[in-house]
Amino acid sequence: MSSTKITIHDLPKENLFTGGHTACPGCGAAILVRNAMKVFGKNTVIYTPANCLLVFGGTYPNISWKVPYHHVAFENTAVCSAGIKRALKASGKDDALVVGFAGDGGTADIGMQALSGAAERNEDILYIMYDNEAYMNTGIQRSGSTPYGAWTTTTPAGKVIKGKERFKKDVPQIMIAHNVPYVATASIAYPTDLLTKLEKAKNMKGFRYLQVYSTCPTGWRVPPEKTVEVAKKAVETGMWTLYEYENGKMTINVKPKLDENGNLAVPVRDYLKMQGRFRHMTDAQIETLQKWVNEKWKRDLALEKALQ
Amino acid sequence: MYEVRFHGRGGQGAVMAAQALADAAFIEGNYAVAFPFFGAERRGAPVLAFARVDKGKIYEKTQVYEPDYVVVLDDKLPLMVDVTKGLKDTGMAIINTSLKPEEVELGRAVKTATVDATGVALEVLGTPITNSAILGAFAKATGVVSIESIKKGIMDIFGARIGERLAEKNARAAEVAYERTSVGICKGTLIYPEEKKWLPTAQEFPTGGALGLEVKTDAGLIGLGSFVENKTGSWRTFMPVADNSKCVNCKLCWFYCPEGAIEMLMNLPESEIPAGTGTDPKGNPKGIKIDYDYCKGCGICANECPTKAITMER
Ligand SMILES: Cc1ncc(C[n+]2csc(CCOP(=O)(O)OP(=O)(O)O)c2C)c(N)n1
Ligand code: SF4
Repeated sequence: MSSTKITIHDLPKENLFTGGHTACPGCGAAILVRNAMKVFGKNTVIYTPANCLLVFGGTYPNISWKVPYHHVAFENTAVCSAGIKRALKASGKDDALVVGFAGDGGTADIGMQALSGAAERNEDILYIMYDNEAYMNTGIQRSGSTPYGAWTTTTPAGKVIKGKERFKKDVPQIMIAHNVPYVATASIAYPTDLLTKLEKAKNMKGFRYLQVYSTCPTGWRVPPEKTVEVAKKAVETGMWTLYEYENGKMTINVKPKLDENGNLAVPVRDYLKMQGRFRHMTDAQIETLQKWVNEKWKRDLALEKALQ
Repeated sequence: MYEVRFHGRGGQGAVMAAQALADAAFIEGNYAVAFPFFGAERRGAPVLAFARVDKGKIYEKTQVYEPDYVVVLDDKLPLMVDVTKGLKDTGMAIINTSLKPEEVELGRAVKTATVDATGVALEVLGTPITNSAILGAFAKATGVVSIESIKKGIMDIFGARIGERLAEKNARAAEVAYERTSVGICKGTLIYPEEKKWLPTAQEFPTGGALGLEVKTDAGLIGLGSFVENKTGSWRTFMPVADNSKCVNCKLCWFYCPEGAIEMLMNLPESEIPAGTGTDPKGNPKGIKIDYDYCKGCGICANECPTKAITMER
């Protein structure tokens, strides 16, 4: 496995996703996209489906992207990106990187069949899901990627049912099951890990999938200045595991603190209490979620061991 | 019929204010509608909401273009948008400001009501959310709806969203604002730059709509990279201020800024580095330069700086 680390200090000065965009103050997706473009460079073509990024990245004819970018429909990210790549290849521009940037709704739910098809065909694209854990552009509806217990406008916190009743869909594992060359999870709060994965994914061939935890202060009811703090806590509590799967091998890149029994040391409660979307949760619900996180962590560890 | 246009920022609750007004008018036996401007506006960006009230059924479905009243929730908004645009000559502007009506500057000299709704909200609610207080001023200044009905409207609309206890506080904020509202004529001294739009003919329109990089037109830049002309700094409430002597050039703020509004001094030409700037152990100039044209004031930089070199100021 190549292990050249890319740090903040390796990034160039120029922004290929410019200021003037209209993301909410403190938007995690904007942090991701701006820095990812520094890694990708000018020889890049972008596809975005309907989502916050499409909207905040430009209002025709004014656009933040400084590289060609396309938009077709909500469910088509993977297949449109693949088509763009094939067209570039046919015209002798195989060196150009094609990146599909979609939200969790556009990936875990509506974009899933196109994504699965493109992965199975091993199309030569980099697919990035910025995971803000709900459909934010249309005003905070639950997606398959919304965590258990979270309030959204379609999983309201009422007297009987309090927030989402189902657990977060594990899309990276679905992608690993496609046996593609590269699958990784990352977070805006771990710059070196994120940038290294972006660089690696950029330079590989075939289908690459990256899922990046991207705080949405507006939809999560978090003060904008806490965007990065919340994202750190997600990793510390095990709510979000940073790992990569490369040519059949899986590696957990950042290990959360564990207690003497090997269990996660930081309780999920510490993560939940930072966010308004979990405010209504009962002790029983928090316990249910803690159990799920403990099991998820054990499963991730077991997978790492199995996939060596 | 009377028509109202609310000017706020995303997240300030202009839509709830419009709804509470419509509810109040309905309680008094009118027909009423309230609706937002449907657009891509996000938290902090200027937004519009509308209300229409009539004795009979309302068939109009358009936005309000010639309002009888404009209600302005944020005193910085008139500097960015002409809130008097389309306002009827007989109309009135209701503005959240600590100034007297005669001291307020707008695009036209119009009948103006003022109230320090931010002050009232801080006093009664403990947060600077002005959408309830401003409705009290509306009732006082226009007389078209009673303060009792406004309070009921707030209880209905706010109550359903934030609970009865907080709704009661908001009703109280409206009542306090009602008492503190004054009416006069503002100054019509603000001049707004002419709005320019790129309107190509069918022949000029590029195939597939594809635009090049930073294309210059009479209406300013268009195409890739042209969003730089959208200066989002006006969204800001709090402002980051850097003490460069404490900076250790870790670049974390430079990375985390969602806007790219922070530049490292070491990335700037020598001519732009202020005299007296210190250097880090590698000999690079130490510190950052914040571009307030774009900074939305999110505060991530101040929160993440390991040496607390950045503070947020009002
Ligand atoms: C086929 C289709 N259905 C619905 C929509 C409306 N729509 C636009 S953006 C969006 C939400 C996107 O959510 P997500 O992919 O999670 O990205 P986010 O907005 O959270 O960044 C929806 C439902 C659409 N554009 N097309
Ligand atoms: S709603 Fe969330 S994801 Fe969308 S622009 Fe705002 S902060 Fe970013």
